[in-house]
Amino acid sequence: MAVGGTKVNPKKFHKNQIPLYLYLIPIAIFMGAPIIYIINHAFKPMDELFAFPPRFFVSHPSLVNFRNLFQTTAGASIPISRYIFNSLVVTLAVVFLSILISTMAGFALSKMDFKLKGPVFEVNNIALMFVATAVTIPRYLTINTLGILDTYLAHILPLIAMPVCLFLIKQFIDGVPNSLIEAAQLEGAGSFTIYRKIILPLTKPAIATGAILAFQSVWTNVETSNLFTSSEGIRTLPFYMNTLTSVGTVQGQGMAAAAALIMFIPNLLLFIIMQSSVMNTMAYSGIK
Amino acid sequence: MGNWLYEFLLPKLEYLPYALLIGVCVFLIVSLIYALIRNRNGKPVRKATREALWGYFFILPWVVGICIFFLSGVANSLLYSFYNLKLDNVLRLEPLTGQDALGNTVYTPLANYISVFNKELNYPVTLANFAVSLILQLPIIIAFSLIIALMLNGKIKGRGVFRTIFFLPVIIATGPVMSQLTAQGVSSVPMVSQNTIASILTDFPEFISQPIMDLFSQLILILWNSGIQILIFLAGLQKVPNTLYEAAKIDGASGWETFWKITLPTLRSMILLNSIYTVVTLATNSTNPIIDLIYNATYAVTKGYSYGAAMTWLYTVVVAVLLLITFLLIREKKEKKSNDVWRRDVESAKRAGQNKKLNKLLGRRKAA
Repeated sequence: MAVGGTKVNPKKFHKNQIPLYLYLIPIAIFMGAPIIYIINHAFKPMDELFAFPPRFFVSHPSLVNFRNLFQTTAGASIPISRYIFNSLVVTLAVVFLSILISTMAGFALSKMDFKLKGPVFEVNNIALMFVATAVTIPRYLTINTLGILDTYLAHILPLIAMPVCLFLIKQFIDGVPNSLIEAAQLEGAGSFTIYRKIILPLTKPAIATGAILAFQSVWTNVETSNLFTSSEGIRTLPFYMNTLTSVGTVQGQGMAAAAALIMFIPNLLLFIIMQSSVMNTMAYSGIK
Repeated sequence: MGNWLYEFLLPKLEYLPYALLIGVCVFLIVSLIYALIRNRNGKPVRKATREALWGYFFILPWVVGICIFFLSGVANSLLYSFYNLKLDNVLRLEPLTGQDALGNTVYTPLANYISVFNKELNYPVTLANFAVSLILQLPIIIAFSLIIALMLNGKIKGRGVFRTIFFLPVIIATGPVMSQLTAQGVSSVPMVSQNTIASILTDFPEFISQPIMDLFSQLILILWNSGIQILIFLAGLQKVPNTLYEAAKIDGASGWETFWKITLPTLRSMILLNSIYTVVTLATNSTNPIIDLIYNATYAVTKGYSYGAAMTWLYTVVVAVLLLITFLLIREKKEKKSNDVWRRDVESAKRAGQNKKLNKLLGRRKAA
């Protein structure tokens, strides 16, 4: 086991680390700029939002954008909680199902031998690089044929099979040593046990990355609400935020900034929860 | 040729994805029945059969999803690109017709593709620019994310905070914030792009200088796009066993040598993975000018869906070629035959008296 894998460096602060910080901190400031910008932007009052030249930091923070946002939503026929609920249901379902399907398919494509294995992976590679805009109309027709227009399924089903997720996870499973699987087979483990006890724990980093990608693409997805639903009660939060902010009023700009912050926070929380569990799994995993 | 296409080939295109789906199902059922019959006759099921059975079982949900919701769309878009699609109340496909030199009506299935090149003047230029900028951006993203991953792999204080910061732009990259930031010029390096670089680049022809200028004006945007790559490299770095580094240290290898001889070869598969991922995200990114062109053409009154589909297919072919090149450049070369194997081959050839084979083997070793 490579437990000591990350213990090369001293535990405490050492002067050798100073050059590292000299590189990392400026780059980190660059990279962190958009985050600071969103947070600042959301709290800007009207005159600062339209200031020219635009300012990066807020000088007189106010909650007026948030107040506008919630006042508008309070007057609507469908409460905002309904949109939030829809978004949560759709996002959780898609993330869970897409990870389940991708890991299963990745395991089979990487570690099992059967006919049609090659064609299936080729198909995934084609799917990877195809432009999504081009399939919207045929996809609408398919969903219409299946009779699931205007249901939660219309949000969930089209997004479940994510080629990027499968690709990432399959490549990671390739790195799991065959000897580990053979040893498990000698002990009498079936395919499903191997999947659950070996593949899933060892590919946690890829699963977490896939989950974040899936979450992000679903959570900000306006397209399914736009195309596959017609009743307001089934649509999702990003769609609602879009309708609010695309009105074109002056207030809309401020509400857009506030909405951007609200949409961004779940992403941030998810990543912070994921990152600690992701990063160190490899060191303890028995993969060498 | 047009007649044959419209009457025979094109209508079948729609069923292509379902053929794959049915294929997987048929193989699953056949292996299942085979296993059941063997089991009934008291013979044990062969290991290969059992494995194939599980394989189909594991892959079935994904195949169903991708065939129904994605591949059918892809196949249909290919189909529609050879027609003129009308969406009034119902969907109607009109074959594309034209007139030959004698004034007779003939089918011209490729008319959409040809008019992309004839009418859409922007398209070939944008496509070429995209290809060049991709070639420029790919090494930068890979090198940058590798360097950052190497730095973050050490045990420095506040590692978690740094990791979060480097990854976060990925999360918001799709949001409206990004477009606001780009519009306000936060994503460029103003001093560099306007003076120094520009003055050097005026000597070069435009098709080279333009992508390089774009590169500098988008430098920060490019770095923002490398979060996933950093994450993948970090996971790969933690797989490098520590004993290798210790052995190298004992042998007196410097940090520089260790990087080239141990870290980089171990990360090779991760570099391939990252390169392909980068090409794909850059190609299907919604800020990509070509996607914009396709989107506009698809929803324009004069052009329509079929036209957009033709543009998409041309684009897909270009991306596929770029991916293939990336793959061929970075993939792992096959290992050379080891000494032991070679010696065994020579021995067996000697014993069997196969002079031709022996000469070949010896000759190969001499050449190497």
